[in-house]
Amino acid sequence: MQHTEGSNPVSDNAYIYVCSSSELEEDDLFECEIGTETVVVGRGEGNVYAVQGICSHAYAELADGELDGTCLTCPLHFACFDIRDGSVLEGPADTPLQVYKAIEADGSIWVSRERG
Amino acid sequence: MSDENTTVIVGAGIAGVHAAESLRTEGYQGRVVLMDRDRQMPYDRPPLSKEWLTGKMDEASMLLRDPAIYEKLDIDLQLGVDVTDVDPVRKTIAAKDGSSYDWDKLLLATGSSLRTLSIAGDDLQGIFYLRRMADAIAIKQHMQHVNEVVIIGAGFIGAELASSLKQLGMDVTIVERSLYPMEAIVGRDISAFLLNLHDCHGVNVIFDDSVVQFNGESTVEEAVTAGGQRIPCRAVMIGVGATPNTVVSHPDLEADGGYAVNEFGETSIPDIFAAGDCTLWPYRGTPIRVEHWDHAVNHAKTVAQNILQPQSSPYTYIPYFWSDQHGSRFQYFGHAKQWTKTVLRGSLESHAFTNFYLDEHNRVQAAFIANQPKNALPVRRMIKQQQVIDPEALADESVALKKMKHKTRI
Repeated sequence: MQHTEGSNPVSDNAYIYVCSSSELEEDDLFECEIGTETVVVGRGEGNVYAVQGICSHAYAELADGELDGTCLTCPLHFACFDIRDGSVLEGPADTPLQVYKAIEADGSIWVSRERG
Repeated sequence: MSDENTTVIVGAGIAGVHAAESLRTEGYQGRVVLMDRDRQMPYDRPPLSKEWLTGKMDEASMLLRDPAIYEKLDIDLQLGVDVTDVDPVRKTIAAKDGSSYDWDKLLLATGSSLRTLSIAGDDLQGIFYLRRMADAIAIKQHMQHVNEVVIIGAGFIGAELASSLKQLGMDVTIVERSLYPMEAIVGRDISAFLLNLHDCHGVNVIFDDSVVQFNGESTVEEAVTAGGQRIPCRAVMIGVGATPNTVVSHPDLEADGGYAVNEFGETSIPDIFAAGDCTLWPYRGTPIRVEHWDHAVNHAKTVAQNILQPQSSPYTYIPYFWSDQHGSRFQYFGHAKQWTKTVLRGSLESHAFTNFYLDEHNRVQAAFIANQPKNALPVRRMIKQQQVIDPEALADESVALKKMKHKTRI
């Protein structure tokens, strides 16, 4: 990543830096890797959220989809998820997305290394 | 609705299963009977030519729903029932085995059947069509001992099979009747691009020619084309299109080129509905037939709503299909029998582009997306909204598709 990392808001290194706040405008999606997992970070209704980046239905990167408010739509079969808690709003998916903690501090966005 | 009410759904494919489920999730209290001539639990078909054939998915993971769901939703699943005759006055439907079922509402979700060819020697072993799970199982078994395969037809199913079999390390030849397969849908440039993609991945393509004879002892050993080519092979797969399955018939039931339905999924007989591949339905005023997964799902859901609440939900979905071939992902939105111009955004050489099909008013009627999934949702919106678009802006990748509505000229 090219960005200058801000100070880590969590001292035990439980979070990793994703991008600067200015890179993530309302309804924007940003994909990142956490370990071997793909994670998508989005800004919905002002707040920052992070969920698993691959659709739970079939292989598609959710960062290629769209965020409208807090509704995240997959670009392949158009399943919709609530980015706040990963729940399925509309099929064909029937499995919720795994959720990560996302925080915004001092102009930087961070995501938890662990799910939940 | 009273609990005495019965809805019978014929066909437990993608459309039938989604209709049954939707009836329940929308609050239908009556009996739901879902029947199919197949004896297997309802399964998903698109992976048959891809993930299943290449071993990435097993039979269990191809089920459309966990078997327990049918019980949970109180859906009476009747498998191995082959229905043919419908009596719209008595409201019954008869099966080949002599059994009869009563209904108050009937939904035909009978899908489509494969077009077949008649070629000298086609009774040899090793010649396959792929439609049902049983076909896929037989193909997979046969393929264990095979190296050279001929595929007849370079449509999407033929192309996906070629890609899957190439991945398995086989020697694949496609024989295609036309010079530009699928030209009527995607245009000449994209057709040529798709053929070239096979070439790039080591699939041998013979076009403007057709197989006229198979030779072999008991199993096919050679395909002979009209142009005189002799292609050694131990297996042949035929994918030359599909026709609507309108086996459930009645003189009053219009079924020329598919069950004719209105925007609510109603057929020409009251209380008989149809959904999915087997229907001829009005898309922006023109009757069309769509044989794709996404349409089957959404059409079925909408028609289920109209079974519950008569004429409550007109079907206005934009047709869509996707195809995975040789590591590329293609997505196609809309429907355009003809177009005035095409606009290419991106480049064919990069294998990442979106090709738009515009009408005379510069409104996007359809689009073919190659490896640009980000464009999918904006493109779908464009086709839905039918705004006039500036073709130059459309071709300019520095202008975001999402922002295109601000660039329109009316």
